[in-house]
Amino acid sequence: MALLYGLLWRLLLVLVHANRALVSWLRVRLRSWKGRLWERTMAALVLPSALARFPDHQKKLNHNNPDANANPVNRTASRRSRWLSDGRSLEKLPVHIGLLVAEEEPSYTDIANLVVWCMAVGISYVSVYDNHGIFRKNNSRMLEEIVKQQQDLLGVDGSKYNVEFLSNGSDKHQHHVVSCRPTVKVLSPEDGKQTIVQAAQQLCRSVENKERSSKDISVSMLDILLRESKNIPDPELVVKFGPVDSTLGFLPWHIRLTEFISLPSHRNVSYEDLLGALQQYSACQQRLGQ
Amino acid sequence: MSWIREGELNLLEKISANILKAGPMPKHVAFIMDGNRRFARKKHMERQEGHMQGFNKLAETLRWCKHLNIQEVTVYAFSIENFKRTQDEVDGLMELAKQKFVKLLEERDNLEKHGVCIRVLGDLNMLPLDLQQLIAKAVVTTKAHNKCFLNVCFAYTSRYEITNAVREMAWGVEQGLIKASDVSEALLSECLYSNNSPNPDLLIRTSGEVRLSDFLLWQTSHSCLVFQSVLWPEYSFWNLCEAILQYQLNYKTIQKARDFHREHQALQQLEADRACVAEHLQHHGNGKPADAQRRQEALLHYTACREERIQDFLEALKQKRDSYFNDLWKEAVLA
Repeated sequence: MALLYGLLWRLLLVLVHANRALVSWLRVRLRSWKGRLWERTMAALVLPSALARFPDHQKKLNHNNPDANANPVNRTASRRSRWLSDGRSLEKLPVHIGLLVAEEEPSYTDIANLVVWCMAVGISYVSVYDNHGIFRKNNSRMLEEIVKQQQDLLGVDGSKYNVEFLSNGSDKHQHHVVSCRPTVKVLSPEDGKQTIVQAAQQLCRSVENKERSSKDISVSMLDILLRESKNIPDPELVVKFGPVDSTLGFLPWHIRLTEFISLPSHRNVSYEDLLGALQQYSACQQRLGQ
Repeated sequence: MSWIREGELNLLEKISANILKAGPMPKHVAFIMDGNRRFARKKHMERQEGHMQGFNKLAETLRWCKHLNIQEVTVYAFSIENFKRTQDEVDGLMELAKQKFVKLLEERDNLEKHGVCIRVLGDLNMLPLDLQQLIAKAVVTTKAHNKCFLNVCFAYTSRYEITNAVREMAWGVEQGLIKASDVSEALLSECLYSNNSPNPDLLIRTSGEVRLSDFLLWQTSHSCLVFQSVLWPEYSFWNLCEAILQYQLNYKTIQKARDFHREHQALQQLEADRACVAEHLQHHGNGKPADAQRRQEALLHYTACREERIQDFLEALKQKRDSYFNDLWKEAVLA
């Protein structure tokens, strides 16, 4: 009997996997079909209007570089304005978004794309996380890739999108972040529980030195300690990529009210996928215990 | 309605349960039972009736869990944030809790038969005294039971729980039981309200919300999270099966992430111990560089001492917590 049940269980699992594969295949097919349609409409509608809207820009560039095709610049410009207006059209936008990659072998280009899109729609803080700390270990490669994608997608003219990178603790002087400048932070599991432990140690040390009594320790005290070392508001939204349904140690203290939205994979992820997640977030209401 | 539901599963349910049980099963499941009020609105009934139905669903879910060999369940009954609701509703919920704990005490024979241990996690001081006493009674009477465990989070938020753990460790430092350098991830876990339970394998939230709302943030960092759109009073056996199936699909990857985290944690502890030993040797070694063997011996000695300190501290903490419940219980008996 147990053997039969075991077999049935395996069969069930295979069926579920097949179902998932089918759904994701359909999604990709549908998207590529929709994407082609979208491109055609864009070509027909948006491009002429974009040409009309940025004439001097085009002229200047043509003047400097007579052989160059005006198209890429226009495309980045129209893309940029489209992304910004997408961000504005949403009822609410997170101030801080977390990108949680729960897949093996992360693709830097795709993550960089996501980061740039987030900044382009107007999100101020973007955190990138994976539970093996791969991004942290390859911090510089990650940041290079972001800068590169930023130039590719937003054009060289993206001075407004100057990125400020925070890396862990070492650069305290950078902590006064100029507002309106998007900030990218690469996170690893150490920023989670380990940071709480460090804050706890710090408080216990001050108790050891008789500077404070154990009774004085409060939620807000701990919160301030944990915030100071980050200087970032709590993420309102975490978009998780990959088939694992878990936070995998993503900043436990800070995800109290965070909405979690899953996307199947970060590989070849499209702007429309991200926008879909943002729209879903924008439709959510929080009651805050009430 | 009582806490314990008798009754078997029907044939189809039994077969499905057996199929699921052929795979890895969660040992500890946590629930955010969301949607009671929306359910009441939907059915045009009183809000309080919605909460009532929510409780009945909990009793039913516990029966399903028993049949699915899930020994431990943690539920989010009342958050500290919920005190912000209207006085009327808060009073209603406190009244419901009182009724249910009275009922629970009436059923103590049945609880004993099934070996159900009830624990209440949260800051009980925030509750009315009579409810505190009832809870203490329930906790003390079922303390020795060990077949299945029900943890009720009442006047609870996870941030408060973590802060309280830090406060307890600071108390240990004040008492001279531990040093500030002994504070570690493992020790903090031991100081949480949930210190007697393994971390939940599966967390289920109903009613379509996709956030944790300050529930078990520390404990669920490597748990499978399942968000289901059904309202809690409408939760069915099949919803539970679906959640478990999702857990099984995630099982291997999450297990791997857990192992990775555990290794990392052990490494971190070792590093911390090494740093402490190095500092110690520097202070007491008269400036002479210590050789490898001496360093190794010192490390072993230091680790043993640290573990002993932590043992003593945890023992003292346990006594402190037990005496809190015992005192409340005695008060209640005398009153």
